[in-house]
Amino acid sequence: MSTAFWLTNTTLETGYQNNNGVVIGTNTERFHLLIDGGKISKIIPASEPITDDLPKKDVKGLLMLPSIIEKHCHLDKTLLDDRWRAVTPVNSIFERFEIEKKILPSLETTTQERAEKLLNNYLTYGVTHVRTHVDIYPEVGLKNLEEVKKALQTFEGKLSYEIVAFPQHGLLRSNAKNLVSEALRQGANYVGGVDPATVDGDIEASLQQMVELAVEGNAGIDLHLHDSDHLGVFTMKRLAQLTKEAGLQGKVAISHAFGLGDILLSQADEIAELLADAGITIITSVPINRQFPPVGLLREKGTSVAVGCDNIFDVWSPFGNGDVLERASRLAEVSGWVDERSLAQTLSFITDGKTPLNHQGEQAWPNIGDDASIILVDATCSAEAIARRSRRVLTMYKGEIVSGSIENSRQGL
Amino acid sequence: MADKTYWLTNVRLETGYQYENGSVAGTKTEQFHVRIEDRTIKEIVPADKLLITDLPKQDANNYLMLPSFRDMHIHLDKTYYSGPWKAPTIPSKGIITRLKEEEKLLPRQLTVAEERAKNLLDLLLRAGSTHIRTHCNVDPVIGLKNLEATLQAVEAYKGKASVEIVAFPQHGLLRSQSVSLVREALQNGASLVGGVDPATIDGNIEKSLQTVMELAVEANANIDLHIHDPGHLGIFTFKRLAALTEEAGWQGRVTISHALALADISLEEANEVAEMLVHQGISITSSVPIGKTIPIPLLQKKGVEVSLGDDSITDHWSPFGKGDSLEKVGILAERFRLSDEFSLGQTLRYITGGVTTLNAAGQWIWPHVGDDADFVFVDASCSSEAVARSASRMAVFFKGNLVVGTL
Repeated sequence: MSTAFWLTNTTLETGYQNNNGVVIGTNTERFHLLIDGGKISKIIPASEPITDDLPKKDVKGLLMLPSIIEKHCHLDKTLLDDRWRAVTPVNSIFERFEIEKKILPSLETTTQERAEKLLNNYLTYGVTHVRTHVDIYPEVGLKNLEEVKKALQTFEGKLSYEIVAFPQHGLLRSNAKNLVSEALRQGANYVGGVDPATVDGDIEASLQQMVELAVEGNAGIDLHLHDSDHLGVFTMKRLAQLTKEAGLQGKVAISHAFGLGDILLSQADEIAELLADAGITIITSVPINRQFPPVGLLREKGTSVAVGCDNIFDVWSPFGNGDVLERASRLAEVSGWVDERSLAQTLSFITDGKTPLNHQGEQAWPNIGDDASIILVDATCSAEAIARRSRRVLTMYKGEIVSGSIENSRQGL
Repeated sequence: MADKTYWLTNVRLETGYQYENGSVAGTKTEQFHVRIEDRTIKEIVPADKLLITDLPKQDANNYLMLPSFRDMHIHLDKTYYSGPWKAPTIPSKGIITRLKEEEKLLPRQLTVAEERAKNLLDLLLRAGSTHIRTHCNVDPVIGLKNLEATLQAVEAYKGKASVEIVAFPQHGLLRSQSVSLVREALQNGASLVGGVDPATIDGNIEKSLQTVMELAVEANANIDLHIHDPGHLGIFTFKRLAALTEEAGWQGRVTISHALALADISLEEANEVAEMLVHQGISITSSVPIGKTIPIPLLQKKGVEVSLGDDSITDHWSPFGKGDSLEKVGILAERFRLSDEFSLGQTLRYITGGVTTLNAAGQWIWPHVGDDADFVFVDASCSSEAVARSASRMAVFFKGNLVVGTL
């Protein structure tokens, strides 16, 4: 751990500006922060003198925000760092499976190299925690897991991570139970899964097996659920029941959960309550080519929601870049959140709930004792950072600068 | 700026598609030297040919050359861009809230309008756009003052981009009694007649459209109307506009911006409307709003000319917008699941005034000798990659001159 140092002249949010009860802006002030042992150990107004001789890094008024969390990616699937290729059209998800199985091993770059390229991009975008899904299926065994673990080891001390053992080809369909179980012993923390109905063909057996694996491996669950409308919603209801029966509340996530976007808001309302009660998190990549869950409603009902990128240039999609803040901006845009407070609060979906100000405008972050996992942004407030996808100047993980520099503020074209 | 004659060497150009099992699996490119003279492309020779010349040479370092982009809908005169951050308010009365805000906001912003317009032009240039259509408020709120500011900015960029200005009665041509102001604007630098929602804003579809048409005919100007009106209200407006276009003989001279109603109707009906638009040569400009997108590929397939625009770039209407046409067309591709090599590459047409590097048969169609030397160099191996990955722009040329970036 590095020695203690001061970040001087940091801009922090101190409250909302109100006009007749309407938030019209964000107040900020400058502070000096002492970073010690990877944590924020002191916060003093910039007007107060620093009396010790510890090193100082002058931030020159850059805005400080909590560093970003990527809640859904596939480090083993990206083609970044390999040559360009567009997506091959297919007639079914099963054809896509086969293409992926064939292409990935044929690449000139290794899974580790490509994963490292993506991790590097994440640091540039201000991400210091990733949840990655890793494909587990009979042909590949645990090889992708090993490669991804090697890549993550390269980034030791630069970010934290969670690994989902993801039976891409179906937990039941590809008979992946033992492999997933083994993956959990070898570093994966979550049991994955995909469409218990359309891929596995047996909702009940598929969900039961996921839950068993999670209980047995003392792991969480993160299920990819693309199944549409009531088929998806039914699956969510069953998973919610099984989650409670197994005492897995707070450890289960449903990624995509498209079904929630297909049904009426009045119906989604009820499901949102159910999910909140079971402590299930919804993770969305904010797709623009189909309906997705009503994030505003979910938040209102107390369901936890997180945003992730999902596909970043892989055999499934040629789009995506790993900028999670850009995804949050997209969420705000689709949701019609254009005012100061709505924009600012959007940050919570990419920081595990952390925002500098709470809904009432009271300071909520940073607090003494928090990890010094932060980003410095070329913006005046969170709302601007979200709307304008402001440039990340520097990323710090537990007190260590892991990307960018204060001096280097040069911008490209 | 003097019109230089010179060679651009080692330029990567697309030469055809690669096929696998009968479908496009990749794009072939080769290197060329390109001679620029009189603001146009005068000669294209393979790079393996030895270049014996006394003309100056500029190495393009094998970057891919694409036609420069067009941002066909923006508001240079209202932007907050390069000014202090400000989020929009919550509009309690919809568009009326925004119009009310302009009464105070626009006069206050006048002192910085020209400077911000220039900064926004810079942003668009950096993204590779060298042709811009800007809608400029012309109404009792601001008179012709925003037009003057816009003209000043455009004048300063005349060697870098071509900009056309729409005289835009934001507060309603009839509603705000702006007819004579629009007429005056057309005599003073604006080249198109604008308008907004003849039904909801002006309250009289027929009279509003008739007046637009009269102004256009009188000034021999093209038309670009903002029509957000939803459902069959919007469609009815399009139909009346098409009829008036035919009567006036204004085919090929009318654009509908937004045309949001097309997102509300069935695809069968949208097909019919598209045929009507094609018949009257009415083009569509969309900002690809991600919450409500009109069926752009369907329109294109039917033969409707569709362009993209950025619309707001952080102003009191919207805090979003990056001014990047290439990113915009990437969003269009993502929205409509255009993710294979062929479809991605062909989407370029939406931001180049219909130009693609290869046609559907994979034949080279851009650049040709004689084309304007308006192009952008990107860090990508082909158009498809440029669109999907929002490739970095390295250098932008307008009429043969480097206007931003370096090679």
